[in-house]
Amino acid sequence: MSLSETGGQPAANALVPPAAGDAGMLVRSRGVTKRFGGLVAVNAVDFDIPRGAIVSLIGPNGAGKTTFFNMITGFYTPTSGSIEFDGNPIVVKRRNRIKSLRPHEVAALGIGRTFQNIRLFGTMTALDNVRLGANVHLKSHWWDAALRTPGMLREEAENREASMELLRLVNLEDRAHAWARSLPYGDQRRLEIARALATRPKLLLLDEPTAGMNASETRDLTDFIRRLRSELNLTILLIEHDMRVVMGISDRVTVLDYGQVIAEGTPVDVRRNPKVIEAYLGRGATDT
Amino acid sequence: MTTVTVKDQDPYGHGIGGWLSHVGAVLADLPTTYRRELTLHRRRTISLTVLVILLVTYPILNSAFLAGFSRTVFPLPLPDDTVVTFMMIFGIMAIGLNIVAGFAGLLDLGYVAFYALGAYTAAFLASSHWGSISIVFLANVAPGFPGIHLPFWIIVPVAILVAGTFGALLGAPTLRLRGDYLAIVTLGFGEIVPVVFRNLADVTFNFSLGPINIAAQHLNLTGGSLGINPIDAPFLPFADITFNASAGYAPVYLGMFLLVIAILFARNLERSRIGRAWMAIREDELAAEMMGVNTIRTKLLAFALGASFAGVAGSLQASYLGATTSDFFTFSTSILVLIMVILGGIGNIWGVLLGAVALTYVDKTFLPYIGQQVQQIAPSFPNPAQFNFLLFGVILVAMMRFRPEGFLPNRQRAAELAGAHTQAEVEAKVDEIVAVDAEAEVEAAIEADPIAALENLGPPPGQAEASGDARAAETIDEAKDL
Repeated sequence: MSLSETGGQPAANALVPPAAGDAGMLVRSRGVTKRFGGLVAVNAVDFDIPRGAIVSLIGPNGAGKTTFFNMITGFYTPTSGSIEFDGNPIVVKRRNRIKSLRPHEVAALGIGRTFQNIRLFGTMTALDNVRLGANVHLKSHWWDAALRTPGMLREEAENREASMELLRLVNLEDRAHAWARSLPYGDQRRLEIARALATRPKLLLLDEPTAGMNASETRDLTDFIRRLRSELNLTILLIEHDMRVVMGISDRVTVLDYGQVIAEGTPVDVRRNPKVIEAYLGRGATDT
Repeated sequence: MTTVTVKDQDPYGHGIGGWLSHVGAVLADLPTTYRRELTLHRRRTISLTVLVILLVTYPILNSAFLAGFSRTVFPLPLPDDTVVTFMMIFGIMAIGLNIVAGFAGLLDLGYVAFYALGAYTAAFLASSHWGSISIVFLANVAPGFPGIHLPFWIIVPVAILVAGTFGALLGAPTLRLRGDYLAIVTLGFGEIVPVVFRNLADVTFNFSLGPINIAAQHLNLTGGSLGINPIDAPFLPFADITFNASAGYAPVYLGMFLLVIAILFARNLERSRIGRAWMAIREDELAAEMMGVNTIRTKLLAFALGASFAGVAGSLQASYLGATTSDFFTFSTSILVLIMVILGGIGNIWGVLLGAVALTYVDKTFLPYIGQQVQQIAPSFPNPAQFNFLLFGVILVAMMRFRPEGFLPNRQRAAELAGAHTQAEVEAKVDEIVAVDAEAEVEAAIEADPIAALENLGPPPGQAEASGDARAAETIDEAKDL
């Protein structure tokens, strides 16, 4: 497959979120800490994501990257700290207790994500996987569904159309009726992205999107991520182990180690940072 | 498939007018749809048509020609009107349980509770149980007759509401539970409800809260272990038909009417965003929630909607039999419905319907008949009809060994159970399932038009493959549209 081949396809205009107004920060997190019993997985992390940027979160295994992801998406509630997304608090304090929005509420605010180990709905078709992603934007109720009211039929038809558009975007339109689990690995990765895009996110979280891909697939995916940013006005947060991807694609890189931010800045700065080299990059930095 | 035709013409319209015109268009398109199906899947369409006609006319044929023979002459006894009515009732229940257990993947072992709630709703609203008051509204009893007497047509929606509400109430505490734990909690609820109905026959209490005082002396709320009877039978005013046990095949058609509505509702729900959300939760609850599915609401909806089907079934059963006691609503009924769903093919509406019909037949016609025969030959031998659950258990074990996906499997579940991981495996599995049909189709084609069929046979290999692919795609499309 080659994602760059789809370059001529019109972008799914209906899927572009309202243009980012000010060039401020889309995500603003302050002092975010997560403890699991005695283990401090994430420790007092301040982390901002500028609108329209591609930001990478890197760090050795167990550094707290996925834990941080899970707090942005509302799956974990931080032990302390605050996270704000697009002006909306994701973590709120109520009577001295910290409460997080529930994941589906966060999704409705405009955060879409993929998973480190692919979590598609295996025995639903590729098309239905994507259609499910748009669930949060569908208004019809169960009685509309039971009676097949005109509004529901129109909405379903539109949703189907938009979902096919997304499948075209990731080059999977001819697999629309295949079950997600029956797709090859690379296709599954792209289907997951399409599903995340169907939630019409402002922020797309990609958890190791190139894991298990060969060099050319990785290159294609990198191009594709860039296209997403430019064509869909997305802000992208990436967890990635492949340093070529990270260095090639990111506007900013944040390095976590033992739950703490040890470096932050442009790829070039981070690459030169001795703390980073010591903690993690080491050989990778000198090689490239 | 009907939506496609409507979409081509586009006008979805608005409001009730739009809905009516849509329904009208679907109905108007039925002949075209049928003709298309006839050309596309000739054999299947014809056999389905014959099957539907046989099923729909069976009660009439039965009363006209077969009744005298039904239990004696045939090697397999034919079900009588009562049994067929119960097939409809259990069909509605199986479809409802399929929403909870099949679509949303929530194992519910207390489903009988909602059946009981539906039955007691009918008992409370259409009997002389509340003898000290008299409310008669559009019912087939004289004005001033003691008790509340509402027509069946009002009781059904009320039963839906009651069962649905309790479905949500049961669902609420189980939302964070999965698998075994969920099964145990629902099991408890299924036990509690009939026991409550049995024990609320003599209620004495005195409750004070500030200026409020509520007290009762020996209040008979539920009729205790005797239950409530008689309950008014459903009554159709203008045609003057009473749908009770002595009305011949009339109740069968009432049940069929409700069953058809149940099928339509369940199918429509399955093919909507709600249905997709249920399946997503079944597949991966966490991922579903991350993709914006409100899992709590969606699961509650599954419980409530699934329960409401049992409410309909319960109110029909009580009104039809004219009596209800808590003995009807035992744990074994929950299990029976669950076996229907699993045997028939969990997740597939037609499968669970088949399961309901087959098991009701075995339970209420076949086994009693065998029992009779055995009793005649060997009176001291225990009656096999008492071993129905032993038999169901054996059938279930055999099914799990030889065809775990059920008689008419849901394709997704079938593939899951067969452990198919690649598209090729999935298609092979689907092919295997439809292979019998395909062979039969070719045979039918040869039968119908030998020359044309022979010309069509044996195309070049590439073409064969292409048509095979098209067929597979078609099958999958069909599965979507159905």
